[in-house]
Amino acid sequence: MAGAQAAQYAPEQAITASRGRGEPEWLGHARAEAARAFEVTPMPTPALRPWKYTKLAGLEIDAFAPDQHFAPVVEGEAPEGGFAGTISHALMDSAQAAVVEARLGSVVHATEGKFVAANAALWTGGAFIHAPRGKTFAGPVSITLEGSQGAIFPRVLIVAEAGSEVSVVIHATSTEAALLASTVVEVVADADSRVRLAFDVRWGPQTQEFAIVRAMAGKSADIKVNTLALGGLLLKQTFETLLEGEGASSTIRGVALGDRDQHFDFVTYQDHIAPRTVSSVAIKTALAGASRAAYYGVTRVEETAKGADAVQENRNLLLSKHAKADSDPVLEILTNDVTRCGHGATVGPVDQEALFYLQSRGLDNRAAMKLLVAGFFSSIARDIDDVVLEAELEAEVERKLSVAAF
Amino acid sequence: MSNPILELRDLKVSITEKPDIQIVKGVDLTIRPGEIHALMGPNGSGKSTLASTIAGSPTYKVDSGQVIYQGQDITALTADARARQGIFLSFQYPTTIPGVTMVNLLREALKARRGEEVPAREFIAELRETLANLKMSEDFARRYVNDGFSGGEKKRAEILQMGMLKPDLAILDETDSGLDVDALRTVAEGVNALKRPDMGILIITHYERILDYVQPDFVHVLVAGRIVKSGDFSLAKEIEAGGYDPIMKELGLLEEVAS
Repeated sequence: MAGAQAAQYAPEQAITASRGRGEPEWLGHARAEAARAFEVTPMPTPALRPWKYTKLAGLEIDAFAPDQHFAPVVEGEAPEGGFAGTISHALMDSAQAAVVEARLGSVVHATEGKFVAANAALWTGGAFIHAPRGKTFAGPVSITLEGSQGAIFPRVLIVAEAGSEVSVVIHATSTEAALLASTVVEVVADADSRVRLAFDVRWGPQTQEFAIVRAMAGKSADIKVNTLALGGLLLKQTFETLLEGEGASSTIRGVALGDRDQHFDFVTYQDHIAPRTVSSVAIKTALAGASRAAYYGVTRVEETAKGADAVQENRNLLLSKHAKADSDPVLEILTNDVTRCGHGATVGPVDQEALFYLQSRGLDNRAAMKLLVAGFFSSIARDIDDVVLEAELEAEVERKLSVAAF
Repeated sequence: MSNPILELRDLKVSITEKPDIQIVKGVDLTIRPGEIHALMGPNGSGKSTLASTIAGSPTYKVDSGQVIYQGQDITALTADARARQGIFLSFQYPTTIPGVTMVNLLREALKARRGEEVPAREFIAELRETLANLKMSEDFARRYVNDGFSGGEKKRAEILQMGMLKPDLAILDETDSGLDVDALRTVAEGVNALKRPDMGILIITHYERILDYVQPDFVHVLVAGRIVKSGDFSLAKEIEAGGYDPIMKELGLLEEVAS
């Protein structure tokens, strides 16, 4: 079944648009291949476990007209030999273009699924962050995604060569109009590199985003991904780390604050492939109104990953009786030799004793809820360790819970 | 005679979720400014229920009677409204709130009590002064509310809040329980340091020992939901010496309790 805008998603159109933008031949072919994959790939169904809690009934990607003018705004100063800008610009520089050609689509393949295929065929602008060998970015790079309407396909490629360091913050905003975003973020973290990636999600009230963020971590590479999920109608973020090099580590931290009919869906996949790899996932949601959250997390320890250390945590605080959360953490351990491997998941209402305690100190219900939610988030806020994001979270708790229904 | 801080008029209280179980069965009590009252009684006599009810706990339901505070009937008022008007309950078992620091709690509570934002500088000055009065380190205020606190620390944290909020009526629910002699003395000295001539204090206790440090003007004995005897400090001494049995025997209540 094809949507009203299907013609714009066709392989011929992908090639034509690519040529029109003056892109290299290889990219045009890659886009056409992705468009063909899009045509033949079905929409995910709830029968697939990562999609169990997010019903897509009625949603057609190609019912949304792609916004051809969309492009991320990249701000940041790259060290010598590196890059921080759009992929379109990177393609005009032969040295950077060679890195893009080698790495783009190497972590997330266009044939993996419907949303990914659409992104690979139709992304515009793109963001490319390249930290060359042994170099450190002087400050964080900021990528701003500003959506208006229709469909946007944000694409981000981060390449951190051996021994390099880079920190990237992605800010997402949109208007009140209906918007579909299918986002792909690829991270290549070579040996001994250090990558920090944060999402500051403040989409408008009618935006639905489906994002996949996948990182490949080389020997002793250290990857940390944080997400602050505040805005949007529907947000599905999938965070995957492939711990391929010995001693590599992955940390994922997330908070979501929901109200009205917001829907958050987090999927994490931590694949321990090499020995002595470390992963830590902690995601907390607080849900007011009729908002809901889902979490499906897999930590897999391969037979080859002796001495792995993995922890996974998901906590959901229901602030109203109409809010709902599902939590489904999974451990797949294929070796006897692990240092630590554990998970914890909870879904529950606010502690009534704590609530009465605060009320007995003069705090009305709303003020008490704000304090309890801020306290609930504090462990994640501390781990995210970014004063700006921390202040934003604090302000959002104040703003949202001043009007939310409990 | 000055107007009472608190008046309980024939107060009858049951458990909200078990309305057929009445715990407080008609209590009259008047506390005037400057007075310290002690409410004593055996386990299960309804002391904590009475304390929680005065503070407005939703766990309990007033079946009949009135709670009059500073001349106003507050029987139907929520706990937070009562607290803002100056009622303070020091909990027998203060709850743990991970992630919320004592500073954050005090800041919000003080804001609520005063009905306006308290300037940071002023707040910090008051906090330092109160901590010093109670011989507590500043470290204490940075910790999460009651998280990992010892029994003594929890009770001192309650008294710290009382010191910051300057209530007109303080109810100390078994503030002495679970404390060794040194901790008890520290907490009692704290209460004495915070006592003002215009406030009323209700000390709820099972044992007499806290009353050696914070001397009550009146002592009431609560048995099976009723005040069966009132007197001065000597009544507490009597209980210390002989327990509750002689009083109950004298009033012919021993059988009633046993059944």
